[in-house]
Amino acid sequence: MAAIELEDVVKSFSMRSGGAGSFQDIFVDLFRGRKWRKEHQRDFDALKGVSFAIEYGEMVGVIGSNGSGKSTCLKLVSRIIEPTSGAIRVNGRVAALLELGAGFHPELSGRENVFLYGSVLGIKRSEMAKRFDSIVQFAELERFIDVPVKFYSSGMYIRLAFATAINVDAEILLVDEVLAVGDQRFQNKCLERISELKRAGVTIMFVTHNLADVRTMCDRAIWLDQGLLVDDGPAESVISAYLEHVYQMEEAADLEIRDALAADSHLGATAAFDDGLETEANDRLAGRGRGRWGSGEAEITDVRFMDAKGEDRLLLTSGEPASILFHYHAHEPIADPMFGFAIYRSDGTHIAGPNSVFAGMEIAQIEGHGIVRYEMESLPLLPGTYYLTVSLCDHSGVHTYDYRDYWYRFRVMAQQGRDHYGLVYIPASWSHAVDSSEEQA
Amino acid sequence: MISRLRELWSYRELVWTLVVRDLKVRYKNSMLGFLWSLLNPLLLMLVFTVVFTVMLPSLETPRFPVFVLSALLPWNFFSSSVLSGVNAITGNGHLIKKVYFPREILVISSVLANLVNLLLALPVLFVLMAVMGVPFTPVLLYLPVIMFVQLIFTIGIVLILSTTNVFYRDVSVIMEVVMQAWFFLTPVFYSVDLLPEIATIGTLVLPIRRLLYILNPMASIVASYRSVLYGFTNGSPPAAPAWDFFSRTAVTAVVVLVVGYWYFTKKSHRFGEEV
Repeated sequence: MAAIELEDVVKSFSMRSGGAGSFQDIFVDLFRGRKWRKEHQRDFDALKGVSFAIEYGEMVGVIGSNGSGKSTCLKLVSRIIEPTSGAIRVNGRVAALLELGAGFHPELSGRENVFLYGSVLGIKRSEMAKRFDSIVQFAELERFIDVPVKFYSSGMYIRLAFATAINVDAEILLVDEVLAVGDQRFQNKCLERISELKRAGVTIMFVTHNLADVRTMCDRAIWLDQGLLVDDGPAESVISAYLEHVYQMEEAADLEIRDALAADSHLGATAAFDDGLETEANDRLAGRGRGRWGSGEAEITDVRFMDAKGEDRLLLTSGEPASILFHYHAHEPIADPMFGFAIYRSDGTHIAGPNSVFAGMEIAQIEGHGIVRYEMESLPLLPGTYYLTVSLCDHSGVHTYDYRDYWYRFRVMAQQGRDHYGLVYIPASWSHAVDSSEEQA
Repeated sequence: MISRLRELWSYRELVWTLVVRDLKVRYKNSMLGFLWSLLNPLLLMLVFTVVFTVMLPSLETPRFPVFVLSALLPWNFFSSSVLSGVNAITGNGHLIKKVYFPREILVISSVLANLVNLLLALPVLFVLMAVMGVPFTPVLLYLPVIMFVQLIFTIGIVLILSTTNVFYRDVSVIMEVVMQAWFFLTPVFYSVDLLPEIATIGTLVLPIRRLLYILNPMASIVASYRSVLYGFTNGSPPAAPAWDFFSRTAVTAVVVLVVGYWYFTKKSHRFGEEV
């Protein structure tokens, strides 16, 4: 028997304009007919037929973008709402931490609320009294336990809620994105405790946007998208598939903006360096284009990224071949130019700053249109978002023709099963040998 | 249905916890605390006594304070149960949205908290009876039975109102007016004997007294309280409520509870998304 079982579960919410109903609905029904109102009242399907089972002792992360039905799923399992159709079976005592908190009453003290929560879960007062001290200790609220909860900060509130929920001997623990509150230290403490509970055989269903937590703690992940189950399997592979999907969606949107921008600049073709429209659109694409300057005899007109197959991309894969193409337009002959660029990670860390002169590439002269190509056998960047600053200047680097600061953005996604800690991927190999000289000594 | 009731029974400790919570929260920020549950009916009794013995002395009801208070206490229990109970579901959204438990517990505990208030106020009535020389008779033993019938009726009504209020929030506003009207239609500060047996409105002939009892279970319940606590306005001592009359009221109460519970269970699955 599984701990949690969902069978073809559908949940739709009726969305009315005024929130909860009122007698107005009845009057509208009277005058315009029930049919009219039904037609003008949209239903929203949060879950469109989802099935899965979670075995005892499993820890499952539920991932997906906002509105994918993750929280609805958890609410259904905790019996707070009931499915429109389909069946849900839950076997065991459930403790749930849903959307900030356990349902504390603001006027009551922390102590009273802990006991209230216990009896809501069907735990006797005497039982609860035994656990009370460890709850207070875990929540670190010794000084405030007799203060009404309405005076608590959100961090104190969530600490008490979490401490209570993990101390009620639940067989099934549902956690919805609650760890986002509370400081880093407490978050770590909670994650540690969740791992302990997992080792103790508690079944845990965990909704979060923090994929790193799912990766390190969950055996299994379920990916929901727009109310449908997309993938269900080992956490690592589900997360990779999910991330690839997210990146591809982002790339499609980015490409669209970039192409719209390109179309605009063709129309304008004025090459004015601070053309308002161009900068604004670029800003959107780059997130934060920081500026453009230079004398303008030659321009960098475009920068393109190419994947291993030679396709025009904004999303590259870590460890695979990739190229960066610099399109230029020299309005007059320019001798000995230097092309250079800098790669920044989204947090501003400067990762690399190569240029054509360091690399020993001498270009005698440029005139008209051309392309400079920078090829990497294996992209060393780890998954993330990166910005490019590009420059075109004279051989000494003193005179700048065109400088686009933080102008181009691209993303990198992971290759299956490779490191994802740190800044770069270092192509290297590991080996191992026994030190026989030490062994003998 | 049986499994639902069994589940409800397993949550009996929660009922008590919630009753305590309700009482605590109610009196938390007031200086006189629970004394208000005694002072409130006493002050009202004072007002009625002044109005009906000093300003309108023609009615001449003997031991008027006992006459009023013996009906006012059960009425207050009903009225405050309804007015607070109508929000029993909507006002506990913080619990309903976070954790599962049988939702009817919220209604039951809200009504029980008001019953506790009634029980705390009864001794005051007994003192008043002793002071005013109303005899204590064995018919007082009917009191728990009458209270039980009222409890059943009240829970039934609150189940219906609190459910409807989830979907139509107008209910809690309307109920304030309805309870005013209901108060005047219930013989609290007057005796049923004062009403004409038959009234004619235009061509309509209405047996007012019978109608009042048939249509308003609170009228019979209040009359029963008064019958065992106070007696009668002609000065005769307390007596047991008429058997056939009271059993009809009891049946009405049970029917209201069953209908209310049925309605509640039919709708409660949507509380989690509507509150």
